Amino acid sequence: MSFSPEQTLIAIVIYLSILFLVAYLADRSSISERITRHPATYVLSLGVFAGAMGTNGIFNIAQRFGFSYLLYYLGVVLMFVLATLLLLPILRLCRIYRLASLADVLAFRFRSQWIGAAVTLAMCLAVMPLFALQIQAVADSAHFLTGDTASALSQGDRKDGLALIFCITIIAFAILFGTRNVSSPNRNTGLVTAIAFESLVKLAALMVVMVVSVQQVFGDFAGLQAWLASNSAGQQILDSQLSGDSARSLLLMFFAGAICMPHIFHMAFAENIESQDLHVASWGLPLYLLLLSIPILPILWVGIRLQQGLPVEYTAIGIGLALDSRLIAGAAFVAGLSAASATIIVSTLALANMCLNHLVLPRRVLQINSDQSLYAQLKWLRRSLITVLILAGYGFFSALSGKHSLTHLGMIAFAGVMQFLPGLVATAYWQRANRIGMMSGLCVGLLIWCIAILLPVLGEFQWAWLQGFSAHLADTSIGRWVALSMIALGCNAAAIVVLSFVTQAGDDERIAAEICSMDERSRMTRRTLNISEASEIVDRLAPALGAKTARSELNRALTQLQFDDKESRPYALRRLRNRIEANLAALLGPAVAFRIVGTQLPFEPETEGSSGEDYALLERRLDRAQGQFTGLAADLDGLRRHYRDTLQNLPVGVCSLAGDGEILLWNTSMESITGIEANRVIGSSLDAVPMPWRSIVFACLNLQTEPVSKREVVRESGESQWVSLHRASSSTPGGGDRLILVEDITDLERLQDELLHSERLASIGRLAAGVAHEIGNPITGIACLAQNLDYETNMDDIRETSRDILKQTERVSRIVESLVNFSHVGSGSGNLDIGPCNLADCVDEATHLLNLDSQAKSVQFVNNLDRELVVEADSQRLLQVFINLLSNARDASPARGTITVSALITGARVTIHLDDQGTGIPAELVDKVFEPFFTTKEPGQGTGLGLSLVYSIMEDMHGTIHVSSPLDEVSASGTRMILSLPLGSYGDTFDV
Amino acid sequence: MYINRALLFIAGLLFIFYPTVDSWILDGDTTWYRPFLLWLLVIVATYWNQRSRLPDEL
Repeated sequence: MSFSPEQTLIAIVIYLSILFLVAYLADRSSISERITRHPATYVLSLGVFAGAMGTNGIFNIAQRFGFSYLLYYLGVVLMFVLATLLLLPILRLCRIYRLASLADVLAFRFRSQWIGAAVTLAMCLAVMPLFALQIQAVADSAHFLTGDTASALSQGDRKDGLALIFCITIIAFAILFGTRNVSSPNRNTGLVTAIAFESLVKLAALMVVMVVSVQQVFGDFAGLQAWLASNSAGQQILDSQLSGDSARSLLLMFFAGAICMPHIFHMAFAENIESQDLHVASWGLPLYLLLLSIPILPILWVGIRLQQGLPVEYTAIGIGLALDSRLIAGAAFVAGLSAASATIIVSTLALANMCLNHLVLPRRVLQINSDQSLYAQLKWLRRSLITVLILAGYGFFSALSGKHSLTHLGMIAFAGVMQFLPGLVATAYWQRANRIGMMSGLCVGLLIWCIAILLPVLGEFQWAWLQGFSAHLADTSIGRWVALSMIALGCNAAAIVVLSFVTQAGDDERIAAEICSMDERSRMTRRTLNISEASEIVDRLAPALGAKTARSELNRALTQLQFDDKESRPYALRRLRNRIEANLAALLGPAVAFRIVGTQLPFEPETEGSSGEDYALLERRLDRAQGQFTGLAADLDGLRRHYRDTLQNLPVGVCSLAGDGEILLWNTSMESITGIEANRVIGSSLDAVPMPWRSIVFACLNLQTEPVSKREVVRESGESQWVSLHRASSSTPGGGDRLILVEDITDLERLQDELLHSERLASIGRLAAGVAHEIGNPITGIACLAQNLDYETNMDDIRETSRDILKQTERVSRIVESLVNFSHVGSGSGNLDIGPCNLADCVDEATHLLNLDSQAKSVQFVNNLDRELVVEADSQRLLQVFINLLSNARDASPARGTITVSALITGARVTIHLDDQGTGIPAELVDKVFEPFFTTKEPGQGTGLGLSLVYSIMEDMHGTIHVSSPLDEVSASGTRMILSLPLGSYGDTFDV
Repeated sequence: MYINRALLFIAGLLFIFYPTVDSWILDGDTTWYRPFLLWLLVIVATYWNQRSRLPDEL
């Protein structure tokens, strides 16, 4: 049985078309997001690790070293089980700084374009054998399927048309689905879903091959076990294994491959930013690989049992051909095809990005002022690179001429990428490492790898001294290669360590080292940008990115941070700068992004107080990382939260300012006192604080002597608010921070005013009493003498004079009497008889008394009070109050004006309104009307004690009185006296 | 640096008992799929370990 070449070609095209369809549907969201966004999809996409090495090459290792073939999977398993060691730190870096490849990470850590370029070139070189492996696996499988065994086994020049068609199809797929979202920060859903689908197909195909072939050959798995017990060839596989050193080295090699291989790195970090997905992958990927590794041995044993004639890497296809089973042969072919295509596609995309960011863009090839947008230029560059890379892989495959097994090719690639492991470990764990050490180590490791491993496989560099040396290292070829790889790795690590100790790192490198280190979350310094608001960033970035792209990048960063383009807070501008750098790093690579942002958006030179910790950002990050702390760190974090909460909930407003005036703290009390939200001002300079608080805080800071001051603030509502301000300076060396405590003392101030008022009234009362006493006696004497004079003379002139004297003494007596009254009430010494009092009757009585004065102005008193309304008051005093108020109202009212008295019950109190239609009281005098001796009447018309007396009486009766004037805003006329008294009730008073 | 203690404990146990486990796995008289059972055990332990993590623990 065999397939025709046309059938095989059609099978390849159909399979890849299905892949296109899956990616297309996922991109258009035709496949539910519950599937495409599910962590299982991410886990399956990581199955890209098992390329043709996992479906074909692994049979070679299994046959020669038995269970040691599991090392291939266990390296990855170890990396994901111990995800916290390397994967999570790298994911954290990639997520925060938008790094998408190993070259990005190392260039970011060592702040060197040269490192990025060197890593990219080395990666391209190391991955070529991997490409050749994939192409060779697919091409040879196709040849075996079509019965063209000679082509597959030939070791001459391979101009393989089938392989070329496969490569071109893969180029088309990679271009279509790998470069669509150049500027998008999100996962490339179509690609991830398609790769996950490939992983499923691969697993399903191997399972089908295992189940069907075991069933056909052994009947069932018990039959297989029985055959195994009796067959020495089968048993030998179980007994053989790699030596301990080789096994450990191989494990380390695959362990390194699990993070350094470009396709794994791309899927694990560039297409994923969720740590939750990585946690699922820490058990999900080992489970997938477990399932994938199970069929290997049974398939191998079936192959031995059938004595299939193909090379061991193609055992599955050989079984299909031997059993004449199209299902088995087809499934085996599809498994290899899916594994190879996934590996090539993802590796190429990752390598294309690396080449673009580290080899092409640093040469400044982009045309900023071109009609084509930056994104379009990037897309075309990336597509070109994809094509070049896959064709280079095909070229390498042709050059090798099929002289090497798939396993050997895989080992060469893994040994190459392992040379990046020391740099990656130093990134996460060793801050001392510097770019000179990194570059030297990489060069040494790669040089040994090239000389000892890569060049000899090309056939033209077979040095005798090398063969002699490697023969001493191990018995097997794999053992020798593993040993040589470990020598390269050892020299690499030693060079990094030695040169990093010998040479010094630059400042930027040290900062990057702190950021990358596991122990330092990041360096959050508070530097100032020389821009005043976010929108200016467009003009700054335009010379480097073009106006359109600069605007687009700014908008993207603003959306991500939920700021607007008027944002001017220094804290927000710093975050914006960091976000733009991270976004540009994803687009252009970290080295180019660092250069552009550093040049176009530089920080102001550091001055005293203008830098320091960015506490706002530090606090945000610590809050986010809460669950991560353990032990002492958790205790310290708990303590920090406790003090922070204490400070936040203090009943005193606290505002902390940095040396340059940036606001670092604005607690809850500060918010309620000022009415300004913390979010609006934290991170901004003092200039951004709304008036009047800006001037108040500024004045407090600039007071040279008194650290305590008291200020009156007029609120928007017009009410006065009194605050006390305390100033303090930070004692931190070099800190320069200043602290302002603000206390709302409005209530205290009011109380003091009232006390002062009462004291003044009491003083005036005492004075009045004294004056009345001293004046009263002489006046009485004058009045008696004047009366005597009137009786004793008949002269009209003298009698008229004596009567005038009597009139004037009566007037003086009235004044003295009112002074005495005032003194009695004001001193609180009056005996009040508080009880239920009918309000309407009281007002009626007052109006009746006022109407007796026939010489007074004619006005109409309107009593709108409820006849049943009763208040708790002294009826005589209340009558005095109403007489005073109604009399004042009458004096102020125009002739035939109306004075209305009304009331309403509010809870347990009665509010009485006494409205007139007079001229009103000017706003500036409203506060003074209750002061003693204040009057607006003509001299001799009033004493200025009436309203003051009313005020005192109301206070004594537990009531209040206010003035509202003018009553009519339009005509600015009318006054309302507002009285409040406790609601009263006769209750049991009438019960006998 | 944050490394889960349970994970370190398991790694330590595996390191100490590696010779015993190794000889048990490769015992010629046993079933061929025994190593996979041990592997499954590691997966279950890892699953159990990651369940206690917070959603965004970076």
